[in-house]
Parts: sequence; C-alpha cells; structure tokens
Amino acid sequence: MAAYLTRRIFKGLLTIFASVTITFFILRLMPADPVALVVDPKMGLEAQAAMKAKFGLDKPILEQYAIFIGNLIQGDMGVSFKTRQPVMAVIQEKMPWTLLLLIIVVTLSLLVGIPVGVRAAKRPNKGFDRFVSLLTMFSISIFIPFLSFAFLYLLAYYLKLLPTGGAYTPPPADGLTYYKDVARHAVLPSLVLFINNVATIILYTRNSMQDVLKEDYIRTAYSKGWNEKYVTRVHGLKNALIPTITVTGLMISSLIGGAVMTETVFAWPGVGRLIYDSVSALDYPVLQGAFLILSATVVVTSILSDLIIAWLDPRIRLG
Amino acid sequence: MPGLLEFNNYSMGFLNDEGQVINMMDNVSFAVQEGRAVGIVGESGCGKSMTTLSIMRLLPNNAVVQGGVINFQGTNLLALSQESMEEIRGKDIAMIFQEPMTSLNPVLSIGFQIGETLQRHQPALSKAEIKEKVIEQLRMVGIPNPEKRYSQFPHQFSGGMRQRVMIAMATICHPKILIADEPTTALDVTIQAQVLDLMSKLKVNGSLMLITHNLGIVVEICDDVVVMYAGRVVESGSMVEIFDHPTHPYTRGLFAAIPTLTHNQDELYTIPGSVPVSTKFLPGCRFAPRCTQAMEHCYTQVPPERELSPSHLVNCWLEFEQRGEG
Repeated sequence: MAAYLTRRIFKGLLTIFASVTITFFILRLMPADPVALVVDPKMGLEAQAAMKAKFGLDKPILEQYAIFIGNLIQGDMGVSFKTRQPVMAVIQEKMPWTLLLLIIVVTLSLLVGIPVGVRAAKRPNKGFDRFVSLLTMFSISIFIPFLSFAFLYLLAYYLKLLPTGGAYTPPPADGLTYYKDVARHAVLPSLVLFINNVATIILYTRNSMQDVLKEDYIRTAYSKGWNEKYVTRVHGLKNALIPTITVTGLMISSLIGGAVMTETVFAWPGVGRLIYDSVSALDYPVLQGAFLILSATVVVTSILSDLIIAWLDPRIRLG
Repeated sequence: MPGLLEFNNYSMGFLNDEGQVINMMDNVSFAVQEGRAVGIVGESGCGKSMTTLSIMRLLPNNAVVQGGVINFQGTNLLALSQESMEEIRGKDIAMIFQEPMTSLNPVLSIGFQIGETLQRHQPALSKAEIKEKVIEQLRMVGIPNPEKRYSQFPHQFSGGMRQRVMIAMATICHPKILIADEPTTALDVTIQAQVLDLMSKLKVNGSLMLITHNLGIVVEICDDVVVMYAGRVVESGSMVEIFDHPTHPYTRGLFAAIPTLTHNQDELYTIPGSVPVSTKFLPGCRFAPRCTQAMEHCYTQVPPERELSPSHLVNCWLEFEQRGEG
C-alpha cells in the first residue's frame, strides 16, 4: 500500500509538472501581445522597456520558462500583470468562493443522487425509474448558460426572489446577516450546477446498481433470508458506488477549475470567473497559477478517489 | 405419506415480450421425505434450476407461477407473505448455488458472509458468538486455518474452497432441507468428490435436494430420484428402483449414454435430437419427437402417470409390466 501510494504521488507530481509546462507554452503561443495591454502606450520608450524587463518579457521564451520554473519551485508564482498583486494572493482570494460552491453542489448531489439512483435501479423501467431517466436526460443535455439565464430571468428579474449576481451585497454586512446574504446569492449558481451534476450522479448510481442487483451474490443474500432493503444496502451499495466515486472525483476537478460559464453568468467571484477575466486581460501569471491549482486538484482528487475505491474493494486493496 | 416438501401439480412459465406466458414447468409433482436425499436429474434446460428457485421464491422477474402448490411442512410456500418467506429462507430451507465464483460478494469478507445467516435468524447472538460459530463451521467444512481465513475475501479462495464456504453458509443454521443446485459442476473432479463427501456428511440431520445432470453423483448420495424432461417429471421413485428398472424411454436413454469401462463401445450412445426450447413444446408428450417408441397419440395427448410399484411412478403411454414392492 505504501509503495502504491508513493508511486501514485510521484506520478501525480510528474503530471502537474507536465501540465504547468504545457500551460506556459500554450499561453505564449496565443496570437496576442500582453505587453500591449500591460504597457501604457503614452509611456516613453525607455519606460516601456523598463517595464518589459521588470516582468521578464524581454528575455527569450526558454529563459523565461527557466526563470518561471525556478521561481515556482521556491513557491513564487509571480505577479499579476493586471493588478500587480502576487498571483498567490489573487488565487487565495477567489478560492474560498469556488470551494463554497463546490461543497454545496457536491454534498447535495451525493445526498440526493445516490438514494434516487438506488431507488430507480430497484424497479427498472417502472414509473419512478422512467420519470427519473427522463429528468436526468433533460438535466444532462440542457445547455448550462441557457438554464442560468432562464433562472436569472424568472427568479431574480421577474419574481425578484433572489439577487441577480455577485456573492454578497456590498458593502459586506456583519455576522449572521452576512452569511444569510451570501446564502441567498449562492442559491442560483448552486442550483444550476446541482441540476447538472446530480443528474450525472443519479445516472451512474442507477446504472451500476442495476447491474449489481443482477449478480449471483445478490440472490445468495436473499437466500439467507434478508429483505430487499438490507440486501441493497449491504450487498448492493458497496459494489455499486465504485463508479459513482470515480465520477464524483472528476466532478470535483471540473468544479475546482471553476464552473467558468456559471460563475461568469452569475458574477460569482470564484476561480472560474478569474480564469475568464485573466484570459481577456492576457494575464499570464494568474492563468498559470490557476491552471497549476487546477492540475494539482485533479491529481489529488484522483488519488483520493482511488484510495476510497481501494478501501471499498478488497480485490484492489489486496490484489 | 406426506413429505417434508411437496410439489403438487406445480406449473410456471415465462412472460415473453408480447405479454404471453410461455409454459416451462408443467404439473410437476414429487415429494422430498424427511431425512432423505432426492436427486433431480435431467439435461440442461429441463427446468431443474427453476424447480429450486421456485421453492426459494427467488424466480427471475419475468417468471410467472401458473398454478399448483409447493407445500413445506404442510404450508403452501407460494401463499406465504414476503416476510414469512424470508423467515424460512436460510433457516429452514437453505440453498447452495451452482457458481461458487460469482455467488459470493467480492467486497465482503467470508466470515461476514457466513455470519450473516446466523445474524438474520438468531439475532440474540453477540458478534463474538457469531464469529466463534462461523470459525467452528469453517473448520467443519474443512477449511484449514479458519481463524485467518475468517477475515479474508472470496478472491483469496480457490473454487473448491469457495464451494465449501457456500456449504458452510447454507448449513450454519441447520436447515430442515438443503437444496444444492449442481454444486459440483464448476469444480474439477477430485474437488467434486471432496465436496460431495462433505455434503453427504452434513445431510445427516436433514433432507437434501440435489440438482444434477450427473447420474454418478445420484448413486453416490441419493435415496430417491426424480427424472425431469422439458419441464415435466417423466419418472420418479427410489434410487434402487430407477437404477435397476429404468422404464421411461428418456431415462433408459440417459443410462445408455453413460460410458462404461466394461463395455467395448466404439461410439458413445446419445439420445437423438436435443431438448426443445419452451416455445416449441408439444401438446402431448414433450419427449415424443426424440422417442424411438413414440406412437401417434404421444404427440397430441399428455401421457398418464402410472404406478409401477409403490415406490416407482412413470409418465408414459407405453405399456409396462407391473412389479410388486421393489
């Protein structure tokens, strides 16, 4: 187990390094010049050159890359072109908002998705299962920005039940009022992401549970005299949850990268919105930082989900 | 004499896509006597497994019971509530399945899976008592090092060991009747013998119902034999009667098809044709198309049940000589 873990961590670090390198070069291949955005054209030529030198943009690409990696190893992700703040500080400011959304969405999706999926699997092609299938098909195929705008129009603009955007009403209030305010703002973006993600969880849980319930060992469990509730919970769930866990890991990775479209539509100040703004501003250091965090989460969640699966399935743990 | 378990004119079938019920088992009647071992013999697809699943009421979803009763200790199992049936499963009637590879849950430990039967039917037992009994049971079915094996998982056991685990699981509550559905089919021959030994050892206290297509196994451990063909009982009686006087053309065909060491045969005898699928069953005798002695009315009329001796019944149109007590 220890050897397995070491190997996984080493591979993970390699993945992160590769991703950071690819990000670095792809950004510099973009057919746009960040200098034009960073440097004020009214500045003197000398001042412009000085600024370029300050950000290291006058050096050859490979040298820039060497400097970037060197700094990164020391924990320095550079300074934002746009705000001149350290990249670390920029990301630290946005990350909690994305995490908040992520925790709400993942928790709700699992709490609702697993029981619904299990129940649908017990009576395939009967009323409840058909209804759920239809609903999940709809939730998965609907275009997210469309859904976002529909909710915005209906609930925020027309019925005026919820705020239209942002994470809180400025200036931030104190204590409980602030939390209530944030909660109200979080409803719409969470709802949109929940609708999409819960459908995935239901679909995976339902399909794998349906397969598991056809297994011979389920019949064996019934032959011992246990009822359906016990058999599904004890003999079905542990086997059926394995695909659900894998897909939850992928879901977390994609939500950490920020649900770019959702965060942008609802002006939610998270990482997704940050990526969107930084692309518009050609803010290389911030983008590099954001993608570094993203690849690190992908690596960490995949290790975590593999560990959970190994814990559930002794064939992987001991094999 | 009423048996411990009795099938009385039991019929079942399968619902097809058009919503029609296609008959599979037709008017099946036989009894399992207290303390005796019954062998249900027949080719693949003759309804042997459906017989066992009918008793356990674990038939597949598209199966339909068309009539008849299955009495266990005088109560019709088919009329019991779901809860009462669950009470009987595992405690009074236990089952060993054909495939030891897939019949155990891969993610739960062997000890837990055996203990579950006890936990269900003797809830008063503590965890430690259950563990103790399970280890004792593992030792009894001949699993070496049971303390260590207790917490291991199915993939760490060989096929023969898994079948021993299945036997341990089915017998831990000392059922009144143990049903074994081709328990040795998936095992190689030397292991088969060990598993059979073990089953005849454990059946001492109760009845055994053994589903098999292997006549050698029947001689080995059975007292009574029921021969099935295409969902009907064609011949039944005591083991000695059936083996000494096989009467139905199908039964005789089965015996003729056993290779022997004493006869110098160039080619092994086979019954011509193959078992019909349930959609192609004839209105009369279902064996008629393969029978060398079939007469015209065999194809259209269901053969009558006739008693050849007090312990020998046959369902056939042919004339047979009556015998006294065999």
